[in-house]
Amino acid sequence: MKTGKSVTAKQKTAGWMFLAIASIMIFIFSFYPMVSALIMSFKTGSAASMKWANPITFNYTRMFQDKTFMKSVGNTFLYLIIQVPIMLVLAILLAQLLNNKDLKFRGLFRTMVFLPCAISLVSYALIFRTLFATQGLVNMTLMNMGLISENINWLGQTDTARFVIIFALIWRWTGYNMVFFLAGLQNIEYSVYEAAKIDGATGWKTFWHITVPLLRPVIIMTFIMSINGTLQLFDESVNLTNGGPANTTITMSHYVYNNAFGTGVANFGYASAMSFFIFILVAILAFINLKVGDTRD
Amino acid sequence: MKRKALSMVLASAMTLSMIAGCGGNGGADTATDTTEKTETTETTESTDSAETTEETATEEAATEEAAPTADVSSEGEHELSVYAWDENFNIPALKAAEKAYQTVDPEFTLNIITQSGSQDVEQAVTLAAAAGDFSTLPDIVLFQDHYIQKFVADYPDAWQDIDDAGIDWSNLGAEKISYSTIGGKHYGAPVDNGTAIFAYRTDILEQCGYTLDDVTGISWDRWLEIAKDVHDQTGMAMLSMDHSGDDLPYMMLQAEGESQWTDNTTPNLVGNDKFKKIIEVIVQGANDGSIILANSWSEYTDQTIQGDQVAGVMNGNWIIPTIEQVADNSGKWAITTLPTIDGGKEGYAANGGSSLYVTANCTKPELAKAFLAYTFGGGDGAIETYDAALTDGGVITTCISAGKSDVYAKGVDFFNGQAIYADIVEMGSHVPVIQQSDFHYNLRTLVNTLITNVQNGNDIDSEIQAAQEQIEFEIAGSQN
Repeated sequence: MKTGKSVTAKQKTAGWMFLAIASIMIFIFSFYPMVSALIMSFKTGSAASMKWANPITFNYTRMFQDKTFMKSVGNTFLYLIIQVPIMLVLAILLAQLLNNKDLKFRGLFRTMVFLPCAISLVSYALIFRTLFATQGLVNMTLMNMGLISENINWLGQTDTARFVIIFALIWRWTGYNMVFFLAGLQNIEYSVYEAAKIDGATGWKTFWHITVPLLRPVIIMTFIMSINGTLQLFDESVNLTNGGPANTTITMSHYVYNNAFGTGVANFGYASAMSFFIFILVAILAFINLKVGDTRD
Repeated sequence: MKRKALSMVLASAMTLSMIAGCGGNGGADTATDTTEKTETTETTESTDSAETTEETATEEAATEEAAPTADVSSEGEHELSVYAWDENFNIPALKAAEKAYQTVDPEFTLNIITQSGSQDVEQAVTLAAAAGDFSTLPDIVLFQDHYIQKFVADYPDAWQDIDDAGIDWSNLGAEKISYSTIGGKHYGAPVDNGTAIFAYRTDILEQCGYTLDDVTGISWDRWLEIAKDVHDQTGMAMLSMDHSGDDLPYMMLQAEGESQWTDNTTPNLVGNDKFKKIIEVIVQGANDGSIILANSWSEYTDQTIQGDQVAGVMNGNWIIPTIEQVADNSGKWAITTLPTIDGGKEGYAANGGSSLYVTANCTKPELAKAFLAYTFGGGDGAIETYDAALTDGGVITTCISAGKSDVYAKGVDFFNGQAIYADIVEMGSHVPVIQQSDFHYNLRTLVNTLITNVQNGNDIDSEIQAAQEQIEFEIAGSQN
């Protein structure tokens, strides 16, 4: 076997060969659809006969005049601003509590907090819808406890419907984020805490000056993931409230879906354009987050 | 810095692949959950229940696998394939038709491919058309009436007309046929009947001092009075509707012979006094507590109707099986026509329903047409087909001759011996044909929003104006 190639060169070729399969797959299944979605976002018409929009940016300018889409942007940001901070703070506190070495049944508690994540998004949304129905369990419980005098139409009023969505999101995702924090906490040497204790730091001070700074990379990661997830929020809006009442709980992705597959419209061009708008939003927010959060270089 | 730039690119790529890769939707989850997401796309439409008006049973059924598909190329000479979606409703009707046609063609088989809901059929057509390859479609599809006009307009190559099938079209309900007649050509054969009924609990009415006659042929104002009285005496509402897909305005307007459209793309809301009056009636009823606007389809059927919260149900007659689920109420219900704005006459409307359409992929159009004409089209096998469809699936015909059979004339115990099926076929022949639009469901969503806003105290005229502007905006967008 004399090929004239050096060992390093051979290894390099082999490396590229191994990479090639995955790379080609990513190109076919990820990058190619992305590019065609971008091209599609400049077209209009039904799926069978799409033509270039006139003017070419028609779909992009249209979305800013679309009151429903603007409403969906507002709703999504409302969820983002309220839900993400509450959820992350809860997740850190829970992680801190459940990281306590002396706590009994630690495993059990951790499993319990994480368990909601094992449930499919559709099923939990449907269950929440049943719980918060006008004749549902929540109303019945509150009624029997004497807290309310008549059934609350949870999903039929804007404020309560938004509350239910945010509540459901917190329930579903806090445990998920907590796991990241737990992993992060376990990477912090116990000796650091001991040193702090010797220096006379209280529990709160330890948390604020040691735990939080050392957890910073994890916090940034969960923050980006949560922003990303919330901006693409879909299942809850569709299954819990169906965007109602009067489109006051509809999310951006839900509206995108409605334009592509819902109500028999099949307006793929417009839907793609809105998807790219969401993409740009996510990219900007993630970029800001990285800039603000990373102080290394 | 270089590393950061790279990570940015990676992060963006992940995000984009989620948005673009999943056909423009994502959930509140990360890349690890993509399997869940594909399930989601398939179930979401089911929850938009009013599009799936007929399939209450499948409403919440989450499908985990892709819907089964057809393979027309491997079919025999005497075989046809068809997509349908309701095991308790339209599939028994198709089985009845298969059996009926076997009397003229003993070798005939109908390969019924069950879908999880009507939206599966719509998406199958959309995807086939987008790919420019209709070979994935079966010979025949069952398709929702309100959608077909838009789908024929958008994808003309996906269909074959059945104008020359030899069907006596005048023997079929005119309003029903108006959906499947596109550009003067007949594309579909009707299966079910969407005629709207107003069913009342006669025991509750009696308890409050009313009879069925007192609520037949009355005006909506009088109806509101009676409803308020019933509500005050019993605490029960007189009517409920799924407000996430509210068909009340459409049906109430149709009973007036009025439409929300002047033509396919021109909405008729601003300055339409009847439309405004109907919105006022609904809002008034909701404020009185005599109309319950439920938040979802399951709340509408399971809680308001089957949970004994209402003394009346107004919807397409396919709602009857839902009412009949409560065995305790047997003999207490009766059906009648709709009130109208001015009263003094009976209101007739229709809501929902589907028909059978031959796709471009059918290589045996002669067989398909002969089959449809002989069975659902009112031919020699019509009575056998429709009688069995009624007994097995509760499917009521729009075919006038088939509605005269003995099975149809029989009284129904649940409705205190009333011959409701014959009544419904008769009512169906009076339903006025009104202007339809491809944007029916877009407008329905906007009208629902309008009602909610007016209920919350907004000015009705400016809300109607806003709804008109928004629907015009949506139409303009899809016509660019």
